[in-house]
Amino acid sequence: MMYFLRRIAAAIPVMMGISLIAFALSAASPGDPAVEALTLNGVNEPTQSEIDAKRAELGLNDPMAVQYVHWLWRACHGDLGTSYMTKESVSGELLRRLPVTLSVSGMALIIAVGTGIPLGMLMALMKNTAVDHTARIAALSLVSIPGFWLAILMIAVFSEKLHWLPTSGYGTIKHLIMPAIVLAAGTSAVLMRLTRAALLEVWNQAYIVTAKAKGLRDIRILLIHALRNAMIPLITVIGSYFGAILGGSVIVEVIFAIPGIGRFAMDGIFRRDYPVIQGYVVFTGLVYVAFNVLVDFSYLVIHPQLRLGGKLQ
Amino acid sequence: MLYSFTRNKITLQLVVLALCLLLAIVGCSPAAQPQANSSPASGSAHPEEVVLAAPRDLAPGPQDAYYTSTILYVWEPLITASEDGQPAPKLAKSWTMSQDGKEWTFQLRENVKFHDGEKLNADAVIANFNRYKQVSPKSSPFYTLDIKSSYPGLKDVVKIDDMSFKLVFDNPQPTLLYSMVNFSSPIYSPKNFNEKGDFNGLPQGTGPFKLVEHQKDQYALLEAFDGYYGEKAAAKRIRVRVIPDPDTRLAALKSGEIMGVMDLGAIPPTLAKELLKDSQFEVSATKSTISHYLHPNGKKAPFDNPKLRQAVSMMIDRQQLVKELYLGYPTATVNFLNNTSPFYKDMKPDYRPEEAKKLAVEVLGSQRKSIDLIVPTYGLDRYPYKAQAELFQSVLKDLQLDVNIRILDGAAFKEAQSKGDYDLALATQGLPNGDPYTLFTNYLSSTGSSNKSYSLGYKNDRVDQLLNQVKTTLSMDERKNIYNELQTIAASDLPTIPLFNDASLIAYNKKITGYKATIYGTTLPELKWAS
Repeated sequence: MMYFLRRIAAAIPVMMGISLIAFALSAASPGDPAVEALTLNGVNEPTQSEIDAKRAELGLNDPMAVQYVHWLWRACHGDLGTSYMTKESVSGELLRRLPVTLSVSGMALIIAVGTGIPLGMLMALMKNTAVDHTARIAALSLVSIPGFWLAILMIAVFSEKLHWLPTSGYGTIKHLIMPAIVLAAGTSAVLMRLTRAALLEVWNQAYIVTAKAKGLRDIRILLIHALRNAMIPLITVIGSYFGAILGGSVIVEVIFAIPGIGRFAMDGIFRRDYPVIQGYVVFTGLVYVAFNVLVDFSYLVIHPQLRLGGKLQ
Repeated sequence: MLYSFTRNKITLQLVVLALCLLLAIVGCSPAAQPQANSSPASGSAHPEEVVLAAPRDLAPGPQDAYYTSTILYVWEPLITASEDGQPAPKLAKSWTMSQDGKEWTFQLRENVKFHDGEKLNADAVIANFNRYKQVSPKSSPFYTLDIKSSYPGLKDVVKIDDMSFKLVFDNPQPTLLYSMVNFSSPIYSPKNFNEKGDFNGLPQGTGPFKLVEHQKDQYALLEAFDGYYGEKAAAKRIRVRVIPDPDTRLAALKSGEIMGVMDLGAIPPTLAKELLKDSQFEVSATKSTISHYLHPNGKKAPFDNPKLRQAVSMMIDRQQLVKELYLGYPTATVNFLNNTSPFYKDMKPDYRPEEAKKLAVEVLGSQRKSIDLIVPTYGLDRYPYKAQAELFQSVLKDLQLDVNIRILDGAAFKEAQSKGDYDLALATQGLPNGDPYTLFTNYLSSTGSSNKSYSLGYKNDRVDQLLNQVKTTLSMDERKNIYNELQTIAASDLPTIPLFNDASLIAYNKKITGYKATIYGTTLPELKWAS
């Protein structure tokens, strides 16, 4: 318990650090949020006095350190501020978009784990056979294909030609299938290769030989003993992958018209909408920290010896 | 050995079977064929519903100055613009200007109801003017709502009787009608605002469509308003989905998921060409308020010299540019003013490469000059700006200019322009309203905001004098003469190098009819299923 409390406490300075870096990078990047806010329509050309008034209204004339401390103070009280452009609450907007991103990334995780690990097991079982070779080539291809290309290809085949799935949008399970597969493809391939390698590595360990000698069925040895011990690298990959896609995948969200967190953040970056950028950074930072803690926790569940201070072999 | 497992065929078969099942469930779930007359986002089927798509959300929401764009026909203005750019009646059916130009009296259209059942009358209009005062300037992705720029020197809004009101100004406002057009005079139900002047729910306008449902960044659902005073909307329900990616919009059109596209950049010309290969689809184009320019940095060499600006202008074959990269939809021009303005003067493109080269030699001698051409990223999605920049790079070699292309995101692009950290910039400008006074002032006046923020470095005493003169000119004929002279001067001095007037381009499936492009939008109320 203390271990997790320490991890969570350690996350606070990490969060402050990343929010500070994000703030500094936003401020250092070219462009003026006041000008952006006044030229949303692409027609208006604000005068200098209008720009000055807008900067004062947004608090942009304060020194950067003061602006950051103001933001931090409000964030500590649960207020991530208001978007310069839409005038809507950043936290409200993030929470509104969270279920969208969660559903797509959750489905992507199910696909990545549901295909990557079983196929990796199959590859290990059928090592050096035609099935193994084919699966390895497939994994290499999947990991090499750019996401946007796979997305366009899938839309052309499954929407334009076959009419099986909608091209884009959000609302039903059908809308999630293509974006989730695109998000999962690369990780599924990584998991296939990793599962195969991890299983082959543990297969000659003494405890496996012992299990065989005791007359256990092969499938039982594989699922209960080998896979469990091969899970550590897999969980590490899955944890960091899920943390990453929860932050939203801009390309997938734009191509499939998914109103998720990634698109929101990208709009914020293009418009120099500091509260949106900061809110997004804090949110994704929290997600990463939470998943790291969960991954650590899962190590303890899988390897009881770690609870007693043991080390992985 | 692992091979020992292969002997256990039953186990292996089970694993393979489980995998196949999983893949089948995930990848090949039995989805019904998406149809454009179904409601894909909500899942509920409405056989009469027409689904369209736009690159952005046309209903930004209650915090926006207008809630929806005018192209959804939910709200209506007092004054609209006719297709020739002239002010035309909408909710105000007639008007008169006082002799001194300081008072305008408007008569409202009778029997007009808002979507919430409220009646349009002078009190409702005054409530809207009070809101303009309260929220101005209010940003929007469409047009900024700013009472000071649309109604400069407005002193009072006076009710005359139930159906007429008067606007009283400090100074004469002979061109008021032009600046009141569309986004400058939106009228909503007086019960539609909260204490901050934002919308307290869905917008309650007087248009032929009601906004009945809105999912931000997903779709806006419109329903025909039965109480509309004019010709009712032909389609009962229209769903306008948000699909930001142009390729996905094209795929959605091809798959029959949507019946048409709308809004700026609805379909890039290259995709329109591809779509027209299929006889199921049609494209509609008309003039647009957007003009395309090549901004020179007139604050530093080499483009502080008007001769080199003229050389660049004469070196660009605008007709070829429009034909090759924009499929001939836009209109090539050297006129600074957009062709939707009623004050537009027709000027033919001036392509004289040999003279251009001579001018370049006059300015640069025998030296070559390296210059930066900056391109905004938003132009890459909507227009073939990358190809256009590369074309200029190739063409300007003959003027001894070695062009280095820099692609910048919107904010960085603006900063580079304002700091003068560029030589040439690809840019667009929308015409705010039919009266070009604001646009001329912004670009051509020595103190103009665009002149300064784009580092155009332009100063011409005659132009400043004409712009001062136009402020006090009440006669429209005299104003026209001044605007004509300003257009001539701009085409000669080239503070910015005009390229072409864009076209408003939409595409649709022939299963619908009555759907055409207009200068700013489409004929949405006339859209219906082809029988």
